[in-house]
Parts: sequence; C-alpha cells; structure tokens
Amino acid sequence: MIKVIAACVIGAALAGGATVVATNLATESTATAEPVNETLYNYGDR
Amino acid sequence: MALRLAPWGLGTLVAFLALGPALGPGLVLRYDMVFVPDLSLRAVLTGADGFPRAIPSDAVVAALSVVLPGHVVQGLVLAAVFVLGVAGAFRLFTGLVYGKGTVPLAGLAAGAVAGTAYVWNPFVAERLLLGQWAVLLGYAGSPWVLAGVVRMASLRPTRGFAGVVCALVPAAIGGFSSVLLSALTAGPTALRRWRDAGLLLLALLLLSSPWLIPSLVSGAATDPAGVAAFAARSDTPFGAFGSLLLLGGVWNAGAVPPGYGEPLTAALRALVVTVALLGWVWWWRRARPVVAVGLSVSAALGLVIALTGVIAPGPLAALIDLWPGFGPLRDGQLYVAPLALLQSLGLGAIVLWVLRALPETTSAEGPPVPGMRRMVTVVVLGLSPVVVLPGLSWGAGGGLAPVEYPPAWRGAQVAVSADERPGAVLVLPWSAYRGPDWSGEPVVVLDPATRLFDRRTLWNDDLRVGTPDGGTVVVTGEDLRARRTAESLDIDPETAMPRIEPAELPELLGSMGVRYVAVSAPVDHGLSDTDGLSPVVEGSDMALFEVDDEYVEATPESVSVPVVTGALTSLGTVVWAVFTVARREPRHGDPVGGSTAGN
Repeated sequence: MIKVIAACVIGAALAGGATVVATNLATESTATAEPVNETLYNYGDR
Repeated sequence: MALRLAPWGLGTLVAFLALGPALGPGLVLRYDMVFVPDLSLRAVLTGADGFPRAIPSDAVVAALSVVLPGHVVQGLVLAAVFVLGVAGAFRLFTGLVYGKGTVPLAGLAAGAVAGTAYVWNPFVAERLLLGQWAVLLGYAGSPWVLAGVVRMASLRPTRGFAGVVCALVPAAIGGFSSVLLSALTAGPTALRRWRDAGLLLLALLLLSSPWLIPSLVSGAATDPAGVAAFAARSDTPFGAFGSLLLLGGVWNAGAVPPGYGEPLTAALRALVVTVALLGWVWWWRRARPVVAVGLSVSAALGLVIALTGVIAPGPLAALIDLWPGFGPLRDGQLYVAPLALLQSLGLGAIVLWVLRALPETTSAEGPPVPGMRRMVTVVVLGLSPVVVLPGLSWGAGGGLAPVEYPPAWRGAQVAVSADERPGAVLVLPWSAYRGPDWSGEPVVVLDPATRLFDRRTLWNDDLRVGTPDGGTVVVTGEDLRARRTAESLDIDPETAMPRIEPAELPELLGSMGVRYVAVSAPVDHGLSDTDGLSPVVEGSDMALFEVDDEYVEATPESVSVPVVTGALTSLGTVVWAVFTVARREPRHGDPVGGSTAGN
C-alpha cells in the first residue's frame, strides 16, 4: 500500500508540474487555429 | 462497500474540481444555460410554439425548484453530469473486463482512468461553456445505457427493458439531443439481437414522448441556414476532422476552454487520444469486449455525421429543407459523443496493459505485482486528460461564475406572478441573447427574461451567428406567434425596438394578448411616457410596463393535451421500470457485472 501511495504522490507531482508547464506555454504561444463562429448580441448598444 | 462507492466518490471529486465556484450561491448564466429563481412549471409546460426544446429539462428544473433553491438545483444538475459520467464509464469498463467478479486494484485504477477521461475532455468542456447542461446529462447517461443494452442479453425481456428505461432517465430529462446521443451510442450494439434493438427503440420512443408528441403536432420548421452556422469547425491546428477526433470542434468560439487549441496543448491532447485509440485496438484484439464492434460503429458513424456539415453542407441543408426532423444533424460536433466513450475505455485498457493486468493475460497465481515505474506511469496516464485540458478546471477557467439577479429583476418577476389576469409578456429588445453588465465577467447568455415570468413570453428566438469571414448568418426561430409579433411591431433591426408610433403600442400589444412589456437590457426604450403603458418596475437593467387592462384581449394559457399525454407516458414508464428493477432477480452470465446501470 505504501508503494501505491508513493506512486500516486510521484505521479500526481509529475502531472501537476506538466499541467503548469502546459498552461504557461499555451498562453505564451500564438494561436493558429481557424477563427470560428461566435454568437452575437444584436441590439443597438452592443 | 467502499470499493462500490469508489466510482461515485471519484465522480464527486471530479465534479468539484471542474465546477468549483459554480457550485456556490448564485446562478451561473452562460449561452444556453439560463437558470432563474423560482422557475415556473406552468410557464415551461405552456411554453412556446415550435419545437419543445425546453421539455422536459426545464420542467424537471421547475419541479425541483418547488422544493429546493434555484442555485442548489443548478448545482445538482451540473454535478450530476460529472458524477454520472465518471461512474458510468468507470463501471462500464470494470464490468466489461471483470463481469460480476471481484475487481482488483488494477481494475479500479483502469476504471478510474476511463471515468475521468470520459468527462474531462474538450467535448464536455465546450458543451458546458455553451451552457448545454441538458445535452451533457444525456452524454453522462450514455455509458449506463450501453451497459443496460449489453445486460439485456442475460435478462428476461421485461427486466432488461426496465433496466434500459432506468438507464435512459438522464437522457430523457435532457430532451431530444440527449436521446439522440444515447441512441447513437447504444443502437449499433443493440443491433446484435433484433429483440434488444426493438426494446431499446421502444424505450427511446416512450421516454421521448414529452417532446416527441408535441413536436409532431407543432408543425415546427427548421431553418437550413443553421447548417452553416452550426457546422463543426477547427478549434485546433489540425483542421475540422482533427479537431473532432480530439473531441473538440464546437461551432462557437466562445465555448472553447481557456488555453485549449494552442499548438502545444492540442499536440498533447492528440498524444493522449492516440494512446487511447491504441488502447482500444489492443483491448479489442486481446479480449474482444462485447461492445467492441457496436461502439466502434457508433463512434465512426458519429464522426461521419459530425463531418457532414463541413464536407457536404448543401445536401444536409437540402435534407433539412425536405424534412425538419433532420434538423438535429446541424450541430455536428454533438455526435462525437460515442467516440469520447470509446477513447475513455481505450485509455482504461492502456492502464491494464501497463500493469499487465488484463484477466486473460494473468498467470494462475494472479497478476504480477507492478513495479513503481509502472504505477507512476498509470497515475500520469490517469491525470493526462486533466493535464492537457487545464482550462476545464475550477469553473471552466472562470467561465462558469455564479451571479445574483439584480433586485429589479426579482421585482419584475414578483409583480407579474402576483397578477392572475391572463396575458403574455413581451421581452424587448427584440434579440435572443444578452451581455448583461450585472453578470460580472462579460458573457453572452440567452436572455433570462425569457424564463423569468410565470406565463408565456414573446421573444425573438432568431439566432444571429457571426461567421469567420465577418458575415452574419441568421437562423430563423420556430415560434410563429413571436414572428407575427415582430412583424406587427415593425422591429428596427438596428435598435431591436418597435418602430411603430408609441401611441399605437398599447392597443396593438393588447390585441396580441400582451399584458406586460419587459425591457431586459439598459437601452433607451422610450416607453416610460407612453399612454396606456404603466411602469411597474423601472431599473437600469430591467423595466417592466403593464398594458392598461382596457386594451388587453387575452385568454388563459393552458397546458396542451399532447404535452400532458407525453409527460404522463414518460413518467408512467419510468415509475414502472424503477419498480420492476427494484425487484431482485437472479441473473446468469452477466457480461457487464452486477453493479451497472439499472440496478
């Protein structure tokens, strides 16, 4: 059981670190995706 | 007992991580997700002309709102998506692998990975950010329906049918799109035996009756222009097909979760999907699960439907023009739902491969004890859906923030509900969507005033959608009475307010059966000094005017016979099924275990 808990801690730490890195890199990179539709407001003042 | 509760516990944890602040006080408003305090059941059932999209989902919310506060009801239905989805995929996987036998720790780990992957993906994130909680309820119920269909083979027909009916309850609450998703996910598997296919079809028809019967007599038309507006689009660098394969590709840019679609996160997501698909192929070849062929057909068929709006918009529009029943095919991305289930089961299978723990591959002495490296790999694999889509966490990156309705809104609601005289509420400006200032972070939402009052509302159900080339597509609404109202009022397309002379307004409104006018946005409405219109509430973001009684020609709205017939048929079927399933009965050769849907 100790082995399982240790694996969970190590795995979660690795995944958490990867999440932080992925989030930071994603926000710094440039979007190249095709623009997609957006719902509009359609009354005068917006 | 603790192990039996594991799927539910994991589902609750995932729901908390994904929804976070959305589970707190206040109501989350976003695109199609409109919750109001004290939603009126009468208003939902009397409804509008056209396709009954809000039935039965809003009716269930209204019924629950009688005994629970609105924000609790919303929290429950949103959390149900994650809890049911995780538990359904978890138990489907472990049931398919271990049957009724004991599930070892490796199986639990694999089930947990499958469950998490099923609800933590771009499909769920994008539909959630589009506010389509009812669709997601059906999505969450799909693994249960598939399990129910598989189990029919080992049960008496009555019992098997009752189990499938119980499994279909989330989809039945969700309405027509949810039922379609369930049919697509479980239909090909049910076709292994004609009897099972027939029973599934019967269950789907009975539980669809609340919206199916009214829609058959409503004469609702579906605008083929929606094909262009709602076709799947690329939200990653991999094009429309690649985006759909990664379970994204929603038509609306505002529904893409934060950080998703950038080259790095999209590439990581592609890696996870590749591993999941490899896992599915490996599992199929190694253990030949009973759903292998059926679910593969479902996923492939769903992908083809999803792509139809992209590769053949003309023929699809022609089909919809021919028969409005093809209308649901407009929103193509919806149909990648079976692929999501396939991928989640594939990811679970990979865990078994890593741990060398598939029952057929183990030795007589039991599975080998996995090493530390393998166990760490499994944990990383299990968390990989979260790692590559962090934008879904904690209220979808802030996209699901609860708000309180301003006092003027509540005042208008109370004033109208206190008036027992018949007559509809006209909602202005004549536009379906709002960007209310009081909702905190700017967000587009279907005007909550359309659901606020306990009577029929007349509002513009046309949908205007911006296209990539800067143009606008208008998808014509389905409410014929609303369209006639707009023509009579001569709505100005710039201001979305009536152009007719103010002096003529009360008489015209009264002749159309309108008793109140609600202005649900801070616009210059110019109604305050109109003779024949009395201000009831005047706030900056909500103004309510009463048409003088002498002008109003209104008759009480009543719940239509088709709606009552449909609701009673569906409710009766569910009650019968629950009692039938509750009676214990021995089973033989159950291929998906004894703890899956319907029991």
